[in-house]
Amino acid sequence: MGVLRVGLCPALTQEMIQLLRGIGIKTVVDLVSADLEEVSRKCSLSYKALVAVRRVLLVQFSSFPFNGADLYEELKTSTAILATGIASLDKLLDSGLYTGEVTEITGPPASGKTQVCLCTAASVAYSLGQSVLYIDSTGGLTASRLLQLLQARTEDEEEQKVFRVLPGDPKPCFQGLVGLSLPLLIGAGALQRIHVVRVFDIFQMLDAFQDLRGSISQQATNASGPVKIVVVDSVSAVVSPLLGGQHSEGLALMMQLARELKTLARELGIAVLVTNHVTRERESGKLRPALGRSWSFVPSTRVFLEAREGPGAPAGCRVASLTKSPRQPTGIQEVMEIGSCGTPEQNSSLEGSKS
Amino acid sequence: MSGDFRRAESGTELLARLEGRSSLKDIEPFLFADEGSPIHGDILEFHGPEGTGKTEMLYHLTARCILPKSEGGLEVEVLFIDTDYHFDMLRLVTILEHRLSQSTEDIIKHCLGRFFLVNCSSSNQLLITLYSLETMFCSHPSLCLFILDSLSAFYWIDRGNGGESVNLQEVTLKKCSKFMEKLVKEYHLVLFATTQTIMQKSSNSTERSSSLKLSCEEVDIDYRPYLCKSWQQMVNHRIFFSRHDNSGSSNQMFSIVSCHLKSNNIIKRLFSIRENGVHFC
Repeated sequence: MGVLRVGLCPALTQEMIQLLRGIGIKTVVDLVSADLEEVSRKCSLSYKALVAVRRVLLVQFSSFPFNGADLYEELKTSTAILATGIASLDKLLDSGLYTGEVTEITGPPASGKTQVCLCTAASVAYSLGQSVLYIDSTGGLTASRLLQLLQARTEDEEEQKVFRVLPGDPKPCFQGLVGLSLPLLIGAGALQRIHVVRVFDIFQMLDAFQDLRGSISQQATNASGPVKIVVVDSVSAVVSPLLGGQHSEGLALMMQLARELKTLARELGIAVLVTNHVTRERESGKLRPALGRSWSFVPSTRVFLEAREGPGAPAGCRVASLTKSPRQPTGIQEVMEIGSCGTPEQNSSLEGSKS
Repeated sequence: MSGDFRRAESGTELLARLEGRSSLKDIEPFLFADEGSPIHGDILEFHGPEGTGKTEMLYHLTARCILPKSEGGLEVEVLFIDTDYHFDMLRLVTILEHRLSQSTEDIIKHCLGRFFLVNCSSSNQLLITLYSLETMFCSHPSLCLFILDSLSAFYWIDRGNGGESVNLQEVTLKKCSKFMEKLVKEYHLVLFATTQTIMQKSSNSTERSSSLKLSCEEVDIDYRPYLCKSWQQMVNHRIFFSRHDNSGSSNQMFSIVSCHLKSNNIIKRLFSIRENGVHFC
């Protein structure tokens, strides 16, 4: 899309482009929306040739309508549900994160958003054996916590699983692991399926998505398999500095990021998990997710996390409420333990939900 | 195709254009203030903030159209343009399954065969796609319902690209609106478009009263028009969606205020969303 160039269509020659430019038709959109009779008169070009060029351009640049039945067939085979590894959150989300959709976790600071992200990454990398792209803009990810979560998962199942660390893999930090215990090695194998990218502004984040598309389109085969989930912790850390003020460029950038996330989810069949912080409403003082009204349309599912109030409430306890969902009624709540996701007590309920 | 008007229409194309479209006036009487709405050539706008049921209402209308006549549908085809990857096929199938008396795979696929989905990623692509969809309207005489969800998805990106000039910012959306109006009038379709409430409620009360010239008794509508004038002027019906505070029951209720812009009729209705879709109270 854009400027008319010679390579776009066989009948579009350089002289044709020069003549069209002479009457002010420079882009594809200009040509497609112009009155071709008038153009052929002014430029003394053949009307038939112009119609043929227009037809080719329309076919090339317009979007193709899909039939509902075909789409449904394709969705039935390609949609997957990825369990987050936290049983109560999975119940809230109707068994987990759906591929093709953007899910958002919001909450005040220290409500457990990063822990949910880490637990999901560990669960997908270990239990499902799929690759994870983890984009960290807050510095909240530590490999030791991830390893801890993975180890807790493997302690129950060390008899059945075969470890997947491949010799000769270019990961210098794991060279020292040869000869260590089996759960640690299995955990290390799953760690290799989690690709971490640290970003500090929105352009680095958009670059990371470009790299992901590039590696998928080249079908770069690595030992870890295709990326099935992208975790972005957090999206508000890179977008909030852009908002506010007189100009709307920040909003335009935010909407481009939103579009990129949704396109990744749909076209590549990936689940996207993002975190967002909260602000207070001016009139009522209630908490609501940050980034404003335009962002509120982007995620298809929103979960709000907060610490449980009151005396006697255990320290790691959080309440998750579903505030937006395409398939569940909103307002349902579940209690979850964030400190212990991956410990044996949690694992026993995981066993039940996995079957 | 604006340049092709000298090309003679074939007999089938003429018939398809004039006679083939069935009437959609029974599609959902609850949505409209006037009887016998919508008629051919009507353009309707669903406006509201996030989570107020606009897309659910579109699924409700789509299901009503694509279901067979024996199951209470209208058996017409629907074209759905999705600009922000919002459309959830699994939800549409759930609604169809609940509404069919016997929901076998074959019947569902047969219903879905009447549904067409187009994804657009920019306002330029939307314009070019509309031009190429004209042949589709010609060749499908049972395609009566045209849905666009949502028209405001490219608003901020277009504003960013247009620079300082408001005209440049709005030019593509203006062309899209004009062309959609032409398609709807020429092919006797009905267009439902959603627009999102992305502006804050205007704190200036005089500005608010001038933007909404209708007199509504206790209805308080959060409406600040921001799309181009050509779109605002071509809309026949505007339906505002909002959440309804229902302190009594646990069920979340939504309300619509439907305004017919020419005749100034306004009605207000409540609905809830269940497994089988929208349910009016």
